[in-house]
Amino acid sequence: MIALLTRRARAQWPLLLSLLAVLTLGATLLGTCALLVTHTSERAVEVAASRADPDDVEVTAYTVTIAAADARSVAADTRTVLTSAIAPFSATTSTRASSNMRTLPSHTDEDRGLLSEVYLSGVDGLRDQARLIAGRWPEKSGDTVLFDNTARLLGLKVGSRVHLGAELGRDPAPPMNVTVVGLVHPLPDAGWDRDPLGGTGYDPDPKDAVYAQDVNAYGPFLVTLDDLLASGSALDRLEVTARPDLSAPTGPALDRLRASVNGADRRLGGVLGDRVSIERVASPLPKTLFDDRSQQELTAGSVLALALIGILLTAIALALAGRLTTGVRAEESALLTALGTSRGQAALAAAVEAAALAALAAALAVPASSVLHSLLTHMQPLAGAGLAARPAVTGVQVLAVGCGAVALALLHVGLAVRPVAAGGERRGRRELLARSGADLLLFALAAVGWWQLRAQPAGAGSRADAVRVLAPALLLTAGTALTLRLLPPLLRRAEGLAGQARGLVLPLAGFQAARRPQAYAAGLLIGLACAAATFGTAFGSTWTVSQHEQADLSVGTDLALTLDAPPVTGQSAEVAAATGGVISPVADRNVAVGQWLGGSGASPRLVAMDTRHAADLLRGRGSDSVADGLTPASAVTGPLLPAGSTPTITGTATRDTPVLVTPRLLLQDDAGLRTACSGPPIVLDGRPHRVPGCVTVAGLRLVAVALPFSGGWEGQPNSGIDITMTLPGADSSPGSAAEPVTWSARAASAEAGQLTAPAVTAAGNRLRFRADVQFADPADLSRVLVATTFPDPGPMPLVVAERFATDVSARAGTKLSLTFGLTPINAVVSRIVPAIPSAPGSPAALADVDTLSRVLVAHGDFDSPVTGWWAGHARSADGLHLGKITTRTGETARLVGSPLRSSLPAVLKVLVAAAVALLLGGVVLHVAYDVQLRALEVARLRGLGMSRRDIRAALLGEHAAVLLPLIVAGALVGAIATWAVAPLLIRSDTGAAPVPPATAHWPWGAFGILAAVLILGAGLAVAIVVTVQARRADAAHLRVAS
Amino acid sequence: MTAPLLTVSGVHRSFGAVRALRDISFEVEPGTMVALVGRSGSGKTTLLNVIGGLDRPDSGTVTVDGVDVTALDEDGLSQLRRERVSYVFQTFGLIPVLSAAENVGVPLRLARVDRPDRERRVELLLDLVGLAGHARQRPGELSGGQQQRVAIARALAASPRLLIADEPTGQLDAETGLAVMGLIRGVVESEGVTALVSTHDPVMMALADRVIHIADGRLTT
Repeated sequence: MIALLTRRARAQWPLLLSLLAVLTLGATLLGTCALLVTHTSERAVEVAASRADPDDVEVTAYTVTIAAADARSVAADTRTVLTSAIAPFSATTSTRASSNMRTLPSHTDEDRGLLSEVYLSGVDGLRDQARLIAGRWPEKSGDTVLFDNTARLLGLKVGSRVHLGAELGRDPAPPMNVTVVGLVHPLPDAGWDRDPLGGTGYDPDPKDAVYAQDVNAYGPFLVTLDDLLASGSALDRLEVTARPDLSAPTGPALDRLRASVNGADRRLGGVLGDRVSIERVASPLPKTLFDDRSQQELTAGSVLALALIGILLTAIALALAGRLTTGVRAEESALLTALGTSRGQAALAAAVEAAALAALAAALAVPASSVLHSLLTHMQPLAGAGLAARPAVTGVQVLAVGCGAVALALLHVGLAVRPVAAGGERRGRRELLARSGADLLLFALAAVGWWQLRAQPAGAGSRADAVRVLAPALLLTAGTALTLRLLPPLLRRAEGLAGQARGLVLPLAGFQAARRPQAYAAGLLIGLACAAATFGTAFGSTWTVSQHEQADLSVGTDLALTLDAPPVTGQSAEVAAATGGVISPVADRNVAVGQWLGGSGASPRLVAMDTRHAADLLRGRGSDSVADGLTPASAVTGPLLPAGSTPTITGTATRDTPVLVTPRLLLQDDAGLRTACSGPPIVLDGRPHRVPGCVTVAGLRLVAVALPFSGGWEGQPNSGIDITMTLPGADSSPGSAAEPVTWSARAASAEAGQLTAPAVTAAGNRLRFRADVQFADPADLSRVLVATTFPDPGPMPLVVAERFATDVSARAGTKLSLTFGLTPINAVVSRIVPAIPSAPGSPAALADVDTLSRVLVAHGDFDSPVTGWWAGHARSADGLHLGKITTRTGETARLVGSPLRSSLPAVLKVLVAAAVALLLGGVVLHVAYDVQLRALEVARLRGLGMSRRDIRAALLGEHAAVLLPLIVAGALVGAIATWAVAPLLIRSDTGAAPVPPATAHWPWGAFGILAAVLILGAGLAVAIVVTVQARRADAAHLRVAS
Repeated sequence: MTAPLLTVSGVHRSFGAVRALRDISFEVEPGTMVALVGRSGSGKTTLLNVIGGLDRPDSGTVTVDGVDVTALDEDGLSQLRRERVSYVFQTFGLIPVLSAAENVGVPLRLARVDRPDRERRVELLLDLVGLAGHARQRPGELSGGQQQRVAIARALAASPRLLIADEPTGQLDAETGLAVMGLIRGVVESEGVTALVSTHDPVMMALADRVIHIADGRLTT
């Protein structure tokens, strides 16, 4: 037998070579995909972790209320717990601690109930978090540095010696003295938001102001951390942050790290015991690593789904090659059978041959897949994602290659021992029935797969399930099988038309195409390969476009800046200069809708931006018209104040005891940003009082004034108030605004009834405020006079997302009561849209930031709602250290080029290339075999007087009549599969359905190139084969036949 | 005396070391049926291929109806076979996917005959060979004798001057073979066609006007 096989192999080496090529290609595909879903996939997790934003992997332990005696040990133990949780990764730690409040005797007036308090802070790496303005950094015990504005407010300078009083609270630490050795300015984005006063240096109304009626808090008094821990001060808060070094992680180590950090909170509690009142370890690291793993599994599932298509194509190609082999060997098989060879012996011979082919294919495929994988990783997008790798051989890869080669070889054995229908021309009824049944089963499975994909929940888990892996291959195969059923009637129709021609070429081509039994495997291979190539091309485009759309809607604009601290006056100019585009202040906060604070893990959000520039600012699908109807009819204007001017207030009160007012001025800059400036408490004693430090930059307009009155319990319950505010150098012309400045006054809380008859009049550069105030209600907010240059805007129009509308059962026209911060807002739903830019998938609402500000101001809430900035057509934001910057392009690059996702576009390229190669190979195999079988027929046509040219034309026409419809039908199947399945296969980076929903995208250019390659390639292949065969078909064939 | 329709003069043809034809020369008068007789491998098919322009001699000339076949290029040879020479093959040579009528119509389509004329001619020829009732059947649905009769009808479709039949009865039983030879004999007489038929059946030879023997590539009579 071995001798027979060897001799046959020598004689039929081209045939065996084609079988080996198909086997090797399939096994190589398997090996490459195995490397992608194991080696590269694991590497992607490691690279993603190593590239993670330091903020996303830091681990912070927060502890609260620590006795002075425990301060050092708590700090040390906390550091130990964190570093042990992060081990074996090395970590850098930084500590930030703040003491309890102490009194500041020099600024305390107990007679008037005025208390000034301060606190000490020790910060590791202070030099990286603040800029030294004067003096030096603290070095020894007793040294302190202050924020420049704190020093200005307290009248301190370098060299000042400050006496700090005893701690407030139980078991107070004794007073102490410190020397100011330097002044610093806090750097933005340096963690000062976690300072007790948020890095502002001063708070006239601190949260712990329970000791006196009027409390001013100042600080921090920055000392060295060692000095603070040794000062004998109790610590109000201590936080230790550890940043692991993940530059060279391994997947298993990352998994252990995630588990370890998750348990760190419990371990910290056990270690610190009752030395602290509250302890907590918080870290985004476990979620970051979990998300990475989820994304890795999601991508691996998609890669498997695409690999399955490739393997299926290979199996069909092998089936075609096997069929051709069987056809070529039909006479030989018949002879061997006639000589007494049993079916078992034939199977054994086929098995030996297949085993040899499988072994050879596996031996070739292992290095080939390693090299192909390495080449892929050196191409975009894998190379850009940092996943370039040298050729490597892994156990999983060898196993996949071996199993694939064996499975394909078994298929070859099955085909070899399968009985061949007589003459190969007419299929038996049983075979036709079996094929029909298989087709029906295929259609049913494809329909179930598609239905299950459609039915998967929007927030489904990220794991690759069987449906996601199988559905694309099932749909493509079922679609191709269906087109193979439709092709014969189409060809018969074409035959009828071709038969009308007078000559022979066209009718002969039509007759042959319509009447010859075409190889099912060849048709399936060509159709499915074209469908797979089309699907791969369109899926890649759809995936990429979806990532862009997700990025667009996620950021909502070209550049988004989330401020670390409330905006300050003059910030607009800074942002505009840095970004160079159209800018808008933006408010983005959670709100309460009635009593509803949100559900399903998402709180309702209100996003407000300058809707006048919506077209320049908003990005994302549907953003063109999302803000329509939200822009207020007229702009707000007010008296223009010259830079550096200082308003003065002169007021009288009819009450017999002093009445104080703490004026707040609302200033609006050119970009529409409104910031409030608080004046000092002013006694209405008929004398002028300055309100300094408000008009710091040019271009500010005064658009509102809030006058909260206080006066204690004693004295008359009522008082008439008459206040005049002088605005030196003010220009009351409306500027670019069309409306003249018109002031109106109201009580911030009219329902409290504590402030009545509010009135405001403007004359020149003076504003006069009058009201009747009662002092019965203890709440200060009930006695606030609000004067604005705009009327109360009424209910604020909102555009709400579908999820928001669903959650609160809102329709267009529904009136809602929102709570923004502590301020109630009446709103009305104007429209419902699929999603709000910057808040995809959230129960979010969009409003105009100007309208929001007006509504808040009308309720006496002068705090800026602004939490960030948006910039359209932005150049960059280099040098803008005001907070976290997110750009649309950056987010797109993150989504598209993420190491955790880049395997998908890479394997799509492989699929398309493999499909094209298999299609062209299948065409060559099929046509060569077909033309060879018909060599005698061609010779006879020559004998009948048909020229070689006409024979070539007839053969080309015949094959074109079969191949072209197959290619077109395959492209249609691929397009339909893309339309039906691709959007369902795309998930967001959290594994949920993407927002906006993915829709099929048609890359017409790529389609054109693909169609040209397929049609020209197939045409060229057919032309070459036909030409060669037509030239060979001569009298020799007639002689042999005779 | 009429000019010969076919003149073969000094034809040699070798395939490597095998000398298939050696100095073959003879003439055939128009309207006669000539039997070319020899054993398998004697060179009959090679000689017929050279005469029909399917093969070229190494030397010598072949003239059919005044046309020097050996001087024709590819297009000229195709035209010769379309207009002057027709073949009947031993294995019938019908195109499997075409019906009997369509097979007969192939030469007429090659000659770009109009559809009505083509259909009339096909009907006439099928009637001539006794297969008028089998026009729509494909070769696989016909017996061997019927297929060969279709092949003869196809060969006559373009009204050739010379009909070349290479062992037309080789795959038929004796009775059917005799009927086919009778049909060829009949069309020679009725259509005035010259027929050159290779065979090694003595019964068939009896139907021919003249018998040419060939052995080892040489004419022996």
